[in-house]
Parts: sequence; C-alpha cells; structure tokens
Amino acid sequence: MFDSIKQWLAERKGTAVGDHDTSNLPTPKTAGDQLLSSSRLIVLDLETTGLNPAKDQVIAIGAVAIESGVIHLDDQFDLILRRPDLDIRETVLIHGIGPEALTQGHETEDALLHLLDWMNGDPVLAYHSAFDQKFLEKALKTQLGYTTGHLWMDVAELMPAFFPDANTKGKSLDHWADYFALEVSERHHAAADALVTAELTLIALNKARKTGVNTLRELTEKLHYQRRLQSMHRY
Amino acid sequence: MKERRQVPPRSPDSMDFVMAAASQDSTRPQNTRAIMSFLREHAPFSNMDDNHLAHFAEHATLRFYADGDEVLKPDDGPVKRFYVVKQGRIKGERHNEKEDRAETTFSITQGECFPLAALISERPTRTLHRASGDTFCLSIEHEAFVTLFSESDTFRDFCLRGVSSLLDQVNQRIQSNAMASIGSNNRLDTPLERYALRNPIVCSPDLPVRKAVARMHENDVGSMIITDDNRRPTGIFTLRDLRTMIAEGKGPLDTPIRQIMTPDPMRLPATADAFEAAMLMAEHHFAHICVVDDDDKLIGVISESDLFSLQRVDLVNLARTIGTATHLRTLVSLRTNVSRLVDTMLAHGADSGQVVKIITTLNDVTVRRVLELNLRKNDPGIPFTWLTFGSEGRQEQTLLTDQDNGILFETPEGMTEEQVREKLLPFARKVNDDLAECGFTLCKGNIMASNPKLCLSVREWDDWFVRFIDASTPQNLVYSSIFLDMRAVFGPTEPLHRLLEHVLERIRKNALFQKMLAGNAFQRKPPLTMFNGFRYLNDEKKHALDLKRQGLAPFVESVRVFALANGVEQANTLERMDALARKGVFDAKDANAWKEAYSLIQAIRMRAHQEMLNRGEELTNYIDPDDLNPLDKRILRESFRQAQRLQQKLEVTYQL
Repeated sequence: MFDSIKQWLAERKGTAVGDHDTSNLPTPKTAGDQLLSSSRLIVLDLETTGLNPAKDQVIAIGAVAIESGVIHLDDQFDLILRRPDLDIRETVLIHGIGPEALTQGHETEDALLHLLDWMNGDPVLAYHSAFDQKFLEKALKTQLGYTTGHLWMDVAELMPAFFPDANTKGKSLDHWADYFALEVSERHHAAADALVTAELTLIALNKARKTGVNTLRELTEKLHYQRRLQSMHRY
Repeated sequence: MKERRQVPPRSPDSMDFVMAAASQDSTRPQNTRAIMSFLREHAPFSNMDDNHLAHFAEHATLRFYADGDEVLKPDDGPVKRFYVVKQGRIKGERHNEKEDRAETTFSITQGECFPLAALISERPTRTLHRASGDTFCLSIEHEAFVTLFSESDTFRDFCLRGVSSLLDQVNQRIQSNAMASIGSNNRLDTPLERYALRNPIVCSPDLPVRKAVARMHENDVGSMIITDDNRRPTGIFTLRDLRTMIAEGKGPLDTPIRQIMTPDPMRLPATADAFEAAMLMAEHHFAHICVVDDDDKLIGVISESDLFSLQRVDLVNLARTIGTATHLRTLVSLRTNVSRLVDTMLAHGADSGQVVKIITTLNDVTVRRVLELNLRKNDPGIPFTWLTFGSEGRQEQTLLTDQDNGILFETPEGMTEEQVREKLLPFARKVNDDLAECGFTLCKGNIMASNPKLCLSVREWDDWFVRFIDASTPQNLVYSSIFLDMRAVFGPTEPLHRLLEHVLERIRKNALFQKMLAGNAFQRKPPLTMFNGFRYLNDEKKHALDLKRQGLAPFVESVRVFALANGVEQANTLERMDALARKGVFDAKDANAWKEAYSLIQAIRMRAHQEMLNRGEELTNYIDPDDLNPLDKRILRESFRQAQRLQQKLEVTYQL
C-alpha cells in the first residue's frame, strides 16, 4: 500500500499547495440497508499534540479497513504528518513521535486528501469517536476547506451495547482490550491503536450478526438506543 | 474526554527504544512490523527471512471467531487459505458415528498453522475446525501461500513435513544429531529388495560337499543355498559348516550336502527391511538370510557383511558376542557397547519402536546367556520357564531398566512344589545377582525369580492369578502393570501360553475387574492443564515432566485394559494397539494416531537418555519442556492430548 501512496503523492507534486480540488472526492455514505457482512468500515485513531481541538493539532493518523467482517492488512493507513512548527513537548512522551519523526512526515494537505480518498466515504469508527471526529473535521476544514460529514460510530458505545454484562473494570480502550485479552503492539501508536479498536469492532460485529443486527441502519439504531439508555440512567 | 490519554508518560528509556526501533525499520507500517514480530516467535516463521515475513504480514487478513464458531468445514470445498492462530485456540472436531457425538481430534494454539494437508493437496478439510474461546486468526490467500511456499525453503520444508508426519520430524532430528558424527545415509528401513543381492549360488541336495565347496570357491562366496526343484530354499551351507565338518570328522567330502547343511534356513520376504534382517540375525546368531518372493522362491541371500558394509551397525556381532560369552565379566563389559550401539542405531534411522526392541533383544540375549552360564555351572535339574514382567515383558525397555522376573515350572512326578523351589531358588538368587552385575538393577519391590512367591508351578501361578483377579485389592491394581504384561524369555513357552489363556478368559468374564483396572488406568492423567499447558510433576520439580509415568503410562495402562478385556495375548503396547485395531475395538485411524503419539513421547525420552549419558549424568525420565524447541513442545503437547482421547474412550467404555 505504501508504494501506492508514494506514487499518489508523487503525482500530486505537480499541483500547487493550497490548490486542492475537493469536489471529486467520494461522497460519504449514510446509514441505509447496506449489509454489515459486506460493507467496508474505517477504524481510525489519531494522535494529537493535546486534548483541546481548538488549539491542538493532529500529528499522526492510523486507520485500518474492515471489509466483509475481516480486517485486511493490505488496506491500512499509517501516516505521521509533517508539522515541524508545532510545540509537541507535552504529548510526545505518550505517543513516542519526536520532532525528528515528525519532520519526516507528509505534507498535511496531501495526507488529508489521500485519507479522504482512501476512506471512500465509508462509515468511520473510533474509540471515543467524538474526539477523533472533532480533530479530523477541524483539520479537514482548516487545511482543505472540506466540510462534508462522514457517518461516525463510537466503539466505546458499540462494546457495551453488545456486551452489556461484560465486567471490564472500566470504560477505556485498555479495559476492553484487557477484557478480550487483546495485545496492543505499541500503545499510543495511531495505527496500533486503530488495529486493536478494529479487533474489538470485529468482536462486536460477530455478536451483532448473532443477535439479528444485520444492516448499517440497524447498527446505528442499536447505538442510538444505547445512548438513550445511558442518558436515562444518568438522570 | 479521552480517558486513555491520561496514562502516565513513558519513561525516557522506553522512548529511546521506540525511536530506535522506528528508525531501524521505519519503511514498514507499524501493524506490519507488529505481525512480523508476532510471527518471529513461532516455528517455522522464526527461521524465515524478513522479506518473507513481510510478504505474509502485508497480505494477511485478520479474522475473529467467537467461542464455538466454525472456522473451516468439509462442506466448504477445497481449502483456499492458510491460517495462523494469533490468539485463542482452534479445535478439530470429528463425528464419532459409533457413539454419535463429536470428538476433539486436535487442538491448535497461538502461533500454530492450519490446515496444511488440505491446502497442499487442494482438497476440502476432513475435519471441522471450530474456535474454542475468543479466537483471532491471521490468514493469507492461496496465492500468497504459494509465493511463500515457492520462495522460502524453511516454509516449504515445514509445510511438507507437517503433512507427512510429525513422527518423521522427530526422527529426522534424532538422526541428524547422531548422524553428524557418523556421516552415513544408509537407513535401516531400506527394503531388502533394494540391496544389491548377488545372484545366489544354489545347488541341489544331492551335490557332494566337495563340488559345492568348489563352486563356492569359484564364485568367491561364503554360503550356498540348497533348493528343491521349485527353487524353494531347503537348506544352507556355509564355510563355517565346512570347518565344523572337517574339525569334527563328520564324514568324507563326497557326502551329499543335504546331510551336512543346516535345514530350513531363515527367510524373509523382499519387502522386509534391513532392520528386520538385522534383528532376525541378532536373535538367532545366523549370518545369512534367504530373501524369498511371495511363493517362497529364492530371490537372493543377504549376509551379515552386506548389512555391515551398508550399515556399519554392530548389532549382529554384539548379539553373538553376548550370546556366546563364556564368563560373566565378559557380559558385564559388553553392556557398555549396548549404549554405544543405541547411538549408532538412532543415527541409522531406527525409530524409537525399533530401538526399544533392539535394547530388549540384547537384554534378552544377555538374560539367556546368564541363565545358560549358571546352568552350566550349577544345573538345578528341573526344566523351567524364565518369565519377565513389566516393561521388559512389554519389550519396551530403554537404557534405564531394572529386573522384574519370575519362574514358571512344571512339577516333576514324585516331587512337591516346595521341593522344586528348594532346588530352583538358590539358582534364581545367583541369576538375579549376576544380572545385577550386568546392569539390571535389583528390583526394590523384590519382584524377582528368587522370591519364593514368584517361583511357582503352573497350578500355583493359575491360583495366584485367580486370587489376583477375583480379589482385586488396590495393591493388586498397582501390580497389574507388572504381572499382566508377561513374557517368556527362556525355557518352554507352551506352559506360559496355557496360563495366559486362562488369565485372559478369567478377565474377559470379570466385568468388575475390568472396570477397576480401567478406573486405575484413568487415574494416570496426561500432564496437561485445562488450558493445554503442561502440568508439572509437583511443586518441588516445578518444570519437570516425567515422560515415563506421566507421558507413556497413560497409554500403556489404558491399552492394557482394552487388550486384556478383548483377549489380546501380546504384551507390547504397540502390538496390542495393532491387535485391537484388527479386532475392531479401536478405530484404525485412532490406533495410528495413538501409536504415533506414544512413539513420539518414547523418542523424546530416549533422546533425553542419550544426552544424559553423553553428559555422564544418571539417567532419569524427567525433562523440562522449556529445554525443548517449540516444535518438540508442540509435538509433546499434541501427543499428551492423544493420551487424553484414549482415556476418554476408556471413560466412555467403562462409564467411569
């Protein structure tokens, strides 16, 4: 896959920075009657310079694709963005990307365009997806002026929806990974976190199939119901 | 708020490590590198090139199966993918038609591959593969598999060997270890027809000895086969016979050869292998064997020197030297040669079953010679049969062995049994002591012929077994592994045969005894935990497995129950399994799997013995599985699982 990115980037070298044509990008799909068993889903994780979308920036994007209920490792996204101007001392210790690795990264605009292209408008899953969604949408808007929304689903909601009785000792990605004895090859590496999130998604999809949740619409309804259930508990 | 971002920062050390690793291999995505390092921990990937591992990782898919999900099944058609278990376990399931339930036939755990045989022969799997617990599998498509198969020698070897048999792998390893010092490619399983058999020199029975010898001289051979009109061998004449004839003045050289020849010569079919020929020679001290076709017509002759020049194995010579030794001290000194011979045999491709038989054969020869030497000095004057029990009775001795023997006699007219014992016991005492000097440790439980309770007449033995079987006390059950595996080593075999018939008949009729025997065998669990880990001996020996008591005994004990209950007279565990398969008590496939598993444990045990011997350590049956390579570990675990299956059969048959 990396060759294809290199080639794609090389082809883009000719075009001027800032002169991006966003009109030919794939249209995001909506939650319809697509069968989960034959859909492509994106599972994504971002590393950022901090927790505040208003002032912090994306420094790495890791994503894998689930297609027909299987993770295809030849269809993944693992990029460090080029942001040499950023002050990243605060969070660098968490994800292990130092200034040197960052400068080897890709031009942000190019990377984001390629990401959109690669995502193909497919639904996006992430753990605590609101965070990744805010950061990514802000980056897409400021860098590319792109504002079309994707269908996002939160794996942090997906898991308790299908495993309500799981005694996970907590709600974090680590807790669920521990619960299913998953190994994270490199914690806080965007691609590794995306893979473990995708593994959890596979487990949830397996359960979904067995409980009669077959389409994308049924899945989003299930999550919607789960949210309402939770907010009811809260009051 | 993202909770997961609130973990404590990494220490600077681990940071450095991460950076170093990233810069080393930064051209590959993190997840590809992660899969490569997972693969590297397991055979055969541990020996494969990085490029090949990367090819695997980049073309892999990751699939999840919940507990009980089907992964592969015979209806799926020809297998299209190659799988490696990343996490969890896959169990093979076969439907047992007789008992109408599913049986687990194998278990594949982390880092192991499937389904090799079906994939290579491009056919559907024969076994239903089912996930056991939450399971993730990495898999590659047929095309990527073929690429790896054709480009990586290591991978290809692994796949092909995995298909043929695990046994071969262990044997190959044993051989390559021993072979290193010997450097020969001759294998003992070479069929006799492949040996360059000289066109044998034959003659008719009426030929005068003088002419026969002249013909032998012309052809520069040491033996002559005498055949009938149909070319069937009727006798053999060798230079040794000529020497005896002249030395003892047996007659003029015009004597027809039939009067001098050794009649009814040893013969083997052309399909027999070198091992069988060597064993036959060792047992009977003959230097020549006729090779015949299905019709008993002579094809060729194989001589000791043929075998020697090809094998350089000193088995026949050693057996003869032992069998003709004139002093005890010679026998004692020859025992060290036995261990050296075992090394050589392993090097020449003898498998564990063959080697235990060789050891047993040489032990038998030694025991017989000790008896003969004692008879020569001090004959008690009463015919007897020398019995061996336990592992020697089963012909399953290794280098670590002690005595378990007894005497069976027929009381001569006009004597009481006590009077016979008065004569036999001092003789037996001397024999036991002499055997101890030869390296057969005295039995701590006094199960020896010099024990008055084990030097009995046919009638007494019969009574003894009646009590043993009808009053099945816990103590008796402990002894079942000794006395129910019995064999005659010296003296007439007919009385033992009659005794055994009675014993088997009695056991067949006594369902309670069978059930107690089964219950006892069921106690001896293979050393596996519920999660397929090794169950160690005890807290003191934290990492030790006892290959004999924990590994082999579950097979030996369970097979004995089935053998005795079904009138199988053999004592050897492998032969018992064969007989049970022939009788339809065991499914043929099961019997093969169990024989293989049993032989594998035996092979690993013997290799450990040879290594201890080379290091000058005392022999034990303990091994630390952590000392084994991953393949042997897997083989051992799978073999123990076969023992569990055998015990399941026992459990079902006897409703334990």
